[in-house]
Amino acid sequence: MIGYLIQRLLTVAGILVVMSLLVFGITQVMPGSVAHMILGEFATNDQIAALEQTLGLNDPWHVQYWRWASGFLVGDFGQSLTMQRPIAPLILDALGRSAALAGLSFGFVAVIGLWLGILGAVKAGRFTDHALAIGQYFFIAVPEFFWCIVLIMLFATTLGWLPATGYAPMSDGFWRWLSHMVLPVGTLVTGLIAHVSRLTRSAMLEVLQSTYVSAARAKGLPERTVLWRHALPNALLPAITVLAVDVGILFGGIVVVEVVFAYPGLGRMIVYAIENKDLPLMQAGVLIVTAIYTMANLVADLLYAWANPRIRYGRSVA
Amino acid sequence: MSAPAGQDQGGAPLLDVHGLTVEYATGRGNLRAVDGASFAIAPGRALGIVGESGSGKSTVAMTLLDLLGPEAGMSAERFTFEGEDLLDPVAARRKALRGHRIAMVFQDPGSALNPAIQVGRQIAEPLIRHRGMTQTQAAARVQELLAEVGIPRPADVAAAYPHQLSGGMKQRALIATALGCEPRLMVLDEPTTALDVTIEAQILDLLEQLRGKHDLSILFVSHNLGVIERVCDDVCVLYAGRVVEQGAAAQVFAAPAHPYTRGLLGSLPRPSAQRLSRLTPIPGRLPDLTRAPAGCIFAERCEHAEAGCGKPQEPRALADGRTVRCWKAEAIAAGAPPTQAMAEAPPDAGPAAAGAPGTTDAGALIAVDAVGKTFRLGGMLAGLRFDFSGGFPLRTDPPKVRAVDGVSLRVRPGEVVGLVGESGCGKSTLGRLILRLIEPSDGRIAIDGHDVTGASVAALRPVRRLAQMVFQNPDSSLNPRQTIGQIVRRPLELFGIARGAEAQAKVVELLGMVRLAPEYAQRYPHQLSGGEKQRVSIARALATSPKFIVLDEATSALDVSVQAAILNLLADLRDRLGVAYLLISHDLSVIAHLADRVAVMYRGAVVEEGPSAQVLAPPYHPYTEALLSAVPVVGLKDRAAQRVRLKGALIGGGAVRGCRFADRCPRRIGPICDTETPPVVEPAPGHRIACHLPLEALRAVPPVFGAAAPHA
Repeated sequence: MIGYLIQRLLTVAGILVVMSLLVFGITQVMPGSVAHMILGEFATNDQIAALEQTLGLNDPWHVQYWRWASGFLVGDFGQSLTMQRPIAPLILDALGRSAALAGLSFGFVAVIGLWLGILGAVKAGRFTDHALAIGQYFFIAVPEFFWCIVLIMLFATTLGWLPATGYAPMSDGFWRWLSHMVLPVGTLVTGLIAHVSRLTRSAMLEVLQSTYVSAARAKGLPERTVLWRHALPNALLPAITVLAVDVGILFGGIVVVEVVFAYPGLGRMIVYAIENKDLPLMQAGVLIVTAIYTMANLVADLLYAWANPRIRYGRSVA
Repeated sequence: MSAPAGQDQGGAPLLDVHGLTVEYATGRGNLRAVDGASFAIAPGRALGIVGESGSGKSTVAMTLLDLLGPEAGMSAERFTFEGEDLLDPVAARRKALRGHRIAMVFQDPGSALNPAIQVGRQIAEPLIRHRGMTQTQAAARVQELLAEVGIPRPADVAAAYPHQLSGGMKQRALIATALGCEPRLMVLDEPTTALDVTIEAQILDLLEQLRGKHDLSILFVSHNLGVIERVCDDVCVLYAGRVVEQGAAAQVFAAPAHPYTRGLLGSLPRPSAQRLSRLTPIPGRLPDLTRAPAGCIFAERCEHAEAGCGKPQEPRALADGRTVRCWKAEAIAAGAPPTQAMAEAPPDAGPAAAGAPGTTDAGALIAVDAVGKTFRLGGMLAGLRFDFSGGFPLRTDPPKVRAVDGVSLRVRPGEVVGLVGESGCGKSTLGRLILRLIEPSDGRIAIDGHDVTGASVAALRPVRRLAQMVFQNPDSSLNPRQTIGQIVRRPLELFGIARGAEAQAKVVELLGMVRLAPEYAQRYPHQLSGGEKQRVSIARALATSPKFIVLDEATSALDVSVQAAILNLLADLRDRLGVAYLLISHDLSVIAHLADRVAVMYRGAVVEEGPSAQVLAPPYHPYTEALLSAVPVVGLKDRAAQRVRLKGALIGGGAVRGCRFADRCPRRIGPICDTETPPVVEPAPGHRIACHLPLEALRAVPPVFGAAAPHA
């Protein structure tokens, strides 16, 4: 298990290095230098040359990369070009707000998705299962931005129950905070719940047809013991992997949702950085998202190993 | 209608089932998986249910505890257990028996244990549920149970997860689970089918011992007639959901009265040293159970069928107490038993049988010299399941596994060499090495004089034409998206043998060789039965007119009646085309039936090799003797008394010091077996045994197959 952990951590480190190289590479292939962007189109060549000197843009690329990447390791993400402020606190604020959105959504996806999946498998072939399947396919097929618009029209414009856009910090009161979360979270989770529950259903169905489930029934165990003790732990294994992949889909969704609901999170910040050609900000944002996604997969792998005795205990006994 | 056999034996039966029918609703109408089956088991008796796939035998077993699921519609005229009527609409009464009054053991111990729960906890579950034990009490009882089923170090096994145990250990643990609440009836559904023959013998011994000790009644479901005969007092032969014959096992196997029972017995290859030329397979295939015929269900495959068979057949009692569903039963039972008819057949005279056996290079088609293969395992991922070619066992500790260790072998033109051994012995790996589907780590392999050891892909091409392979599972070795015609045609085009109309004609010719009609060229694999698919695999292998074919467990996935036809076909092709086979099988009966020479493999090396008749008769290598003793053979039940038994299971990998069989050997001499590599003795030219025992001691061993063995 320790060997496995070390191997996985090395892999994660490798992925992060490659990703940072790619993100860094954007500055190298962009037309014009960063100094150009900072000084604007009316800058003289002397001014540009001077700034390039100050910023170290004339150094070889690997020196520049090391300066940039090593800054990340100590929490120095550089300066935002457009806001003229250090990036780290900006990103951390936005990240905190996005994390609230993502965490809440992920919790709903995991709990409701797994539960609906199990329900579908237990009721396989019956009315509940068919009704669930129709709903699941519908929510998988319809894209998120559609729900953004529908939800805003219904709950904000027509009914006036919830604020259409924006964000309120916890310090303004829990309910106010929550009222701003409902619509973005609702939008994010629909598709993912459908996705997770579909996959959980098939994993659970497969397990329910296994011999060890029949064997558990043949022992005279009550059906709920068979389901929760014998079937579910085995069906959860594939679900763990799926959930980790869904973290990536969740981040994709967050960008859309944050923009539409004017929610000041990381996704919206990255979109802002791209629109305003704020390269350092964008690089930092993309790298953070990559790191989170990689970590989510690492956690999933470790959870999988922990939940799977075949990986946890290798040695044979007899 | 007569009383089922079990009722004759003293008092009320423990289990009494009459007119059991199980139906499934399908798109094409109701499929009758079991049709009016009646049987009974008296206390302390063992009833065997035997049949081929699709016979409904497992369905019967599953019905007892209502394990079939809601889609199965079950009905019966009478269904009692210990006098209690079990026919209630929601099956609550049958469910209530589960795990304490009736216990069940399933076929594949690898999948019947939950991989996520410790073995001890799984065994404890029924104890806690039905006996009201606490966790601690149950844990103590689990240790007793594990010790009772012959598991050494019960505490370790109880704490282990299933993947840490060998197949035999898992099945013992499952038997311990079933025993826990001291059931009256134990239902065993093919409990040894997934196990090696030596482990099977251990499990059958254990069952025999437990049965006597606990006064257990047994319902034993199996396709294996030899196993049924060993375990059961009574037998019930099932065909297409109907009981065609039932009675005392001894009677049924000695003088079968139903043509299907006769057919099954006639299909069985036997591991006697005397070569039999042909088996008598059952032609045709199982009828469509959604449109079962009104008359005898076996009529269309029956050699005795006549007009009278079109009438419905009811089970009928014979004078000797048997029940048979055939109006001609008396006449058929009086006929010569199929076993005898076979024994009188002339011994086979294959092209190679006449030649002097030996391993001289002269004329060898395949020459394998000191070939070895070491597999490297990912060290950091130790604990994952590694599945190599031949279903290698889970190996974790050593980073490398020596799957094949210095094997030398010769196959001459037209010769059938049988390669036998337990799973994990390296026999499949050796087959793949010879065809260079995998690279040997050391040694040299030559096919028809071409050294293929270091040959490039281009240099291998002409050799590939000469040497082909047939795999175990035709379902996965035939591309489901190609027609049979395309599959057989592909090698013709690949090797530039024939094109266009010529290839078309050649495909028809090849299909003819494996006795398939030309129309089969247009069909897809899923439209064919298992036996037909394997015929296509053979036709594909024959397409390049090879001189040598590796048959890797080519008949293991087939029912005996189908296997018999394939074995006959292989024998014919060998005689007609002079093609040589390397016949890889775990089944000694199959090897003995077809092979001219036999090589016995253990832990990567050949421990005994020689002409079939000599290998199957003393002097034996102790491992060969143990393998032969373990095979359950119909008609040789008495042999059980004097057999040798192997302890433990094959553990592969690791470096070998001394004799590789020493740790399990029943005839171990002493420390010399652990330290010195055994010498090779040659009791007869071409017959070699690697063993420390003096040849006189080996010769003194009585033959496993008493009278059947020839005098070498």
